[in-house]
Amino acid sequence: MTSARSTIVAATLLSLGGVVGCSGSDAVSDSDPSSLSNSTSPAGFPKGTNRDQAPADNALTENRALLGKRLFYDPLLSRTNDVSCATCHQQAYGFSDPKPVSTGVDGRTGTRNAPSVANAAWGRSFFWDGRARTLEEQAAQPIENPLEMDLSLSDAVARVAAEPSYLDGFQKAYGEAPSEETLPKALASFVRTLVSGNSPYDRHLRGDDSDFGPQRQRGEALFLSEKCECFHCHPGGALSNEGYFNDGSYIAGGDTGRQQVSGRVGDIGKFKVPGLRNIALSAPYMHDGSIPSLEAVIEMYDAGGRGDPTTDPLIKPMSLTSEEKADLLEFLNSFTDPTFIEDPRFAP
Amino acid sequence: MKLPRLAVLIAGVAGLVGQLGCSSNHDDTAPDGEPASVGTACDQRPSPQRTEGTLLALRIQPTFEGNPFVFGQPNPLAAGGSLIPLNFRFYISEVELLRGDGTTAAVDLVTEDGTPEAYGVHLFNAEEDDSSTVRVLAPVGEYSGMTFALGIKLACNKQDPANMGDPLSVASQMTWPQTGGFLYLRYEGRLQGGSAGPGASAQSLRAVHMGGDLVNELVPRVTAHGSLAVPESGALEQELTVGMDEIFKGAASDIDVSDASVGFRSTPESVAGERLRRGLPELHVFELMP
Repeated sequence: MTSARSTIVAATLLSLGGVVGCSGSDAVSDSDPSSLSNSTSPAGFPKGTNRDQAPADNALTENRALLGKRLFYDPLLSRTNDVSCATCHQQAYGFSDPKPVSTGVDGRTGTRNAPSVANAAWGRSFFWDGRARTLEEQAAQPIENPLEMDLSLSDAVARVAAEPSYLDGFQKAYGEAPSEETLPKALASFVRTLVSGNSPYDRHLRGDDSDFGPQRQRGEALFLSEKCECFHCHPGGALSNEGYFNDGSYIAGGDTGRQQVSGRVGDIGKFKVPGLRNIALSAPYMHDGSIPSLEAVIEMYDAGGRGDPTTDPLIKPMSLTSEEKADLLEFLNSFTDPTFIEDPRFAP
Repeated sequence: MKLPRLAVLIAGVAGLVGQLGCSSNHDDTAPDGEPASVGTACDQRPSPQRTEGTLLALRIQPTFEGNPFVFGQPNPLAAGGSLIPLNFRFYISEVELLRGDGTTAAVDLVTEDGTPEAYGVHLFNAEEDDSSTVRVLAPVGEYSGMTFALGIKLACNKQDPANMGDPLSVASQMTWPQTGGFLYLRYEGRLQGGSAGPGASAQSLRAVHMGGDLVNELVPRVTAHGSLAVPESGALEQELTVGMDEIFKGAASDIDVSDASVGFRSTPESVAGERLRRGLPELHVFELMP
């Protein structure tokens, strides 16, 4: 795997050599299978590619994506030189963290579970409380967060600028030296390439049910039913409405989530609805990583949450049978895209 | 695989259509001689019905028991306790201004820069301040109110949200199961202590989901009365109030919905929504204020 990955990366880099100027244009063609920056939308997402999701001031190009990938895996961006973005967003776990809460510099821990960044190109807001409206805005925050990488953005830029190979990469990608603007832009560009769209659920949405048997179909029917009401928060191909809800996992006195951004009493215990792609890979669950398995998640929802009075009125006890729980679980398992976690284009 | 909700909805709510159709006295003809939208398409970039007019900006203001209904905050209840709205959003489309002689002028919903809104639809979302102003390009004149569809027309309701842009995407939070159409109005709230006042019910204060199906044109038309004097130049700003008391009253009514399809009777919030939808002709939810 490693050698194959190296070959592809090397080939990509070679193909860029001597051709790319300062405009950020690419030498990798759109049809090149090694291209990071031009992936078709997963089934059920808006038609097009991940390039369509990039903002006008940070068009997605191969050079930017490759630069962002290098930064994503580089612990240089942490004060202690031992924490990178990939520390908490690991490919093997669908770019999430198997720990309930991630470990930052000096062993510091926060209060929230690192969410998957798969298909984040189509996201409307970021972090569990939605405090970032763009991936560019999001990308800068973990670097400066004292519990994560604990490095000022200006210091991060200075470190990157001291590496000649990075200077060259920024010139190729943005036509300028690294800055507090272009560094997050490069990271955001790589994150936009993390497209996962090859699960049994994708194939089901495209009309191929060869890996979507009766149990998954029963689970889907439950998911879409008024009995479970999962679809209200998890609609569409992304399986998220990008909204904020108190799903019953909040416990009084805990992290108040969206309320910390909005200041509204009604937002206490609301967190952003996560997409469910690759959900089976991203245990533990909920904003605080407090639920270890999907079976336990189903049990919590079946009970109507943990009982806090702030719970959304649509979260109610469901009285699911053991067969129904098994069907739901099997449906959730259909969201797993095994090729995504092995794709060498996304690896360091 | 056939989706159960889709099957339920297609199975039908026939027989409801005529009860809530458009009011009978609109002329369906814009002053420039062009016919008003007939609602047969759901174009993301609808052709404007008018090329000129004055920008009329209406600030949407929900009210409750005589006071502003503050989103996300406790609103005192006359019967004690408080009500915290957690989610409140609805679609507006197919707007017409009412003249004193009973005729109407169809107008376009537009953005701040005057271009038609996508799909000819405005989504009010109490969580997003930017959505709280609805704008139309209005011909000069005196009006006694406006009518509009509280929801989206069938041609749009039949679309798959996965293939639609805002405000008809899945991020609208107005979708029923995939390919099962949209909600027209969505409300959820939390009752803290106390109880519902006269006319409302605890359920109506908790959740109301009003929508249509994939077969019938069920979107209700509503009227907002109030004076509008549209000047020749400049812009006009007024307030469009939304009486939550009326919404809760309609949702808590005892209107018989036993003839509705299972989809409209499957949850307390959908029953409340269907009762509201059927009861709207008798309610005075919207009002134009100076």
